Amino acid sequence: MGADILGIAEHLDGVVAPSTFEVIGKAIALADASGGAAKIALLGSGTTAIASSLASTGVEVLHTEDASLRDYTPDAYGQVLRGLLASIAPRLVLAAHTAQGTDLAPAIAASADLPLVTNCVDLSLEAGTLLATRRMFNEKVEGVFELSSDRAYVATLRPGATKPARASPGGRVSSVPVALDPTKLPTRVLRLERPEVSDVDIGSADVVVAAGRGIQKKENLALVEALAKRLGGVVGASRPLTDNEWLPKARQVGQSGKTVRPKLYLACGISGAMQHVSGMKDSEFVVAINTDPSAPIFEVAHLGVVANVLELIPALLKELGP
Amino acid sequence: MALNVVVCLKQIPNPDLQFQIAPDGLDIRRDALNYRVNGSDEYALEEAVRTKEKHGGRVVAVTAGPKRAEQMLREALAKGADEAVRVAYEDPGAYDVGRTARILAAALKTIPHDLVLTGVQSDDLIGSATGGLVAGFLGLPHASVVTRVDVKGTEIEVACELEGGLQRVMSVPMPALLTIQFGANMPRYAPLPAIMKAARQPIRELGPAALGVPSWDALAGPYAFRVRRLTPPAARGRAELVTGAVGEQARRLAQILREKGFVRR
Repeated sequence: MGADILGIAEHLDGVVAPSTFEVIGKAIALADASGGAAKIALLGSGTTAIASSLASTGVEVLHTEDASLRDYTPDAYGQVLRGLLASIAPRLVLAAHTAQGTDLAPAIAASADLPLVTNCVDLSLEAGTLLATRRMFNEKVEGVFELSSDRAYVATLRPGATKPARASPGGRVSSVPVALDPTKLPTRVLRLERPEVSDVDIGSADVVVAAGRGIQKKENLALVEALAKRLGGVVGASRPLTDNEWLPKARQVGQSGKTVRPKLYLACGISGAMQHVSGMKDSEFVVAINTDPSAPIFEVAHLGVVANVLELIPALLKELGP
Repeated sequence: MALNVVVCLKQIPNPDLQFQIAPDGLDIRRDALNYRVNGSDEYALEEAVRTKEKHGGRVVAVTAGPKRAEQMLREALAKGADEAVRVAYEDPGAYDVGRTARILAAALKTIPHDLVLTGVQSDDLIGSATGGLVAGFLGLPHASVVTRVDVKGTEIEVACELEGGLQRVMSVPMPALLTIQFGANMPRYAPLPAIMKAARQPIRELGPAALGVPSWDALAGPYAFRVRRLTPPAARGRAELVTGAVGEQARRLAQILREKGFVRR
């Protein structure tokens, strides 16, 4: 068992995912504790520029280039990473808790029979034991879990929970050649589908009035629309509303929808699940209206109103006047 | 091609509740909770039933959980599952996803499957790990965060949701495991006669002996897992609260919005 921390880089269309720099930041901190080095695995095709941008954080980039790594698949990534696991024997393998990370980390943990903990807001090593801090039960409970093993740990880190690595000297790129077994690549990527262009761009609005499950019925959207109009803003939504097709998908704020940073974000009846918060937490001024005083949205809001939106919005519209 | 579809379901405490920590700090207090089927699992069940309706075959609903989860399995039967199996893993918290997944995978080895569906995450522990782990233990190809399923012969074409509204369309050969995302379909309501029928249907129970092991510990992974402590989250920048009756709250909020320049006239 070595002491190195192996991060996994994520990229799409030649752009590194911001969460990758958070993975590197945490890998560097953990490597200090384990007495090893932070290394980052970069897999892809035509990713030389990405390799140098990752190396600018001061870590060693283990760079594997292959045509079959052009798109992410768990099969091809799994093959390469199992090879890296065998050659460097890291103490911990760390990915971001993103669509790719949640697909890859469990697959590696299971196929290599390694302990796994996911969606961590913090991680530390204490004499070889991994301490994982997680948020659960709609963000209302925090837990610290201990995993002890002489095998490598596999973990995923929640995006936005930790600080990204800063520029630092001493990084380098090491090429890691690979011979992939094409008979063991069952998954084929056919194409990428881009989101539809919409009439309203919630990403560029100064004021977003967002509706959540608390509005209860589609008809009540009219209230939210009236408030958005009065404030010169646009209507956004949390996932359940676009899933129910009350509003088009392009209005969804969150990890799987749009990230918005308006001057005013007014969350109406939104509880504030991780998925949603990651898409609006950097808004300049956040007002939350929700009946549940323990709702996690009140953690990211600057101003909170514990009230039923269906009563509060009509009263607010009356105060604001026509 | 008639398909054997297995859908894995989890019963979770209603996430809209307020939660308290048990006195020993190792679980939440469970004496006053109400439970329901996990959100994305409803979409996985619906996808399973639709697949059967379109291509023929049968749907087996499986859970690894305590006796209370039988209620959820009966709902699955009422919504179109043909058989329900409870893997008798009685741990109420089940915080170690590796253990749950090892037990679930051992059970699935005894149940024929061309397609295994799970929800994308459980809304209580939000780990998004069970599906991928089970696929790995069973050696199945898998795809995650699936919003569209299209069976084409012995392959499945799936759309997988990425960040920012992008979708990756992939082809996966069966047998395979898919984790199904919210919004993949419109889950149905169970008709009343089906609910009444499901109340009388048997639920098959699988304990360690049925899977050929002396206890669940015999399936344990190469690590020790322990809950150190659960706490309410440290308050990070709690919102300043506008108090009072609704009228007063609205007046104060309007005033603040005006002061900050968000009201133009």
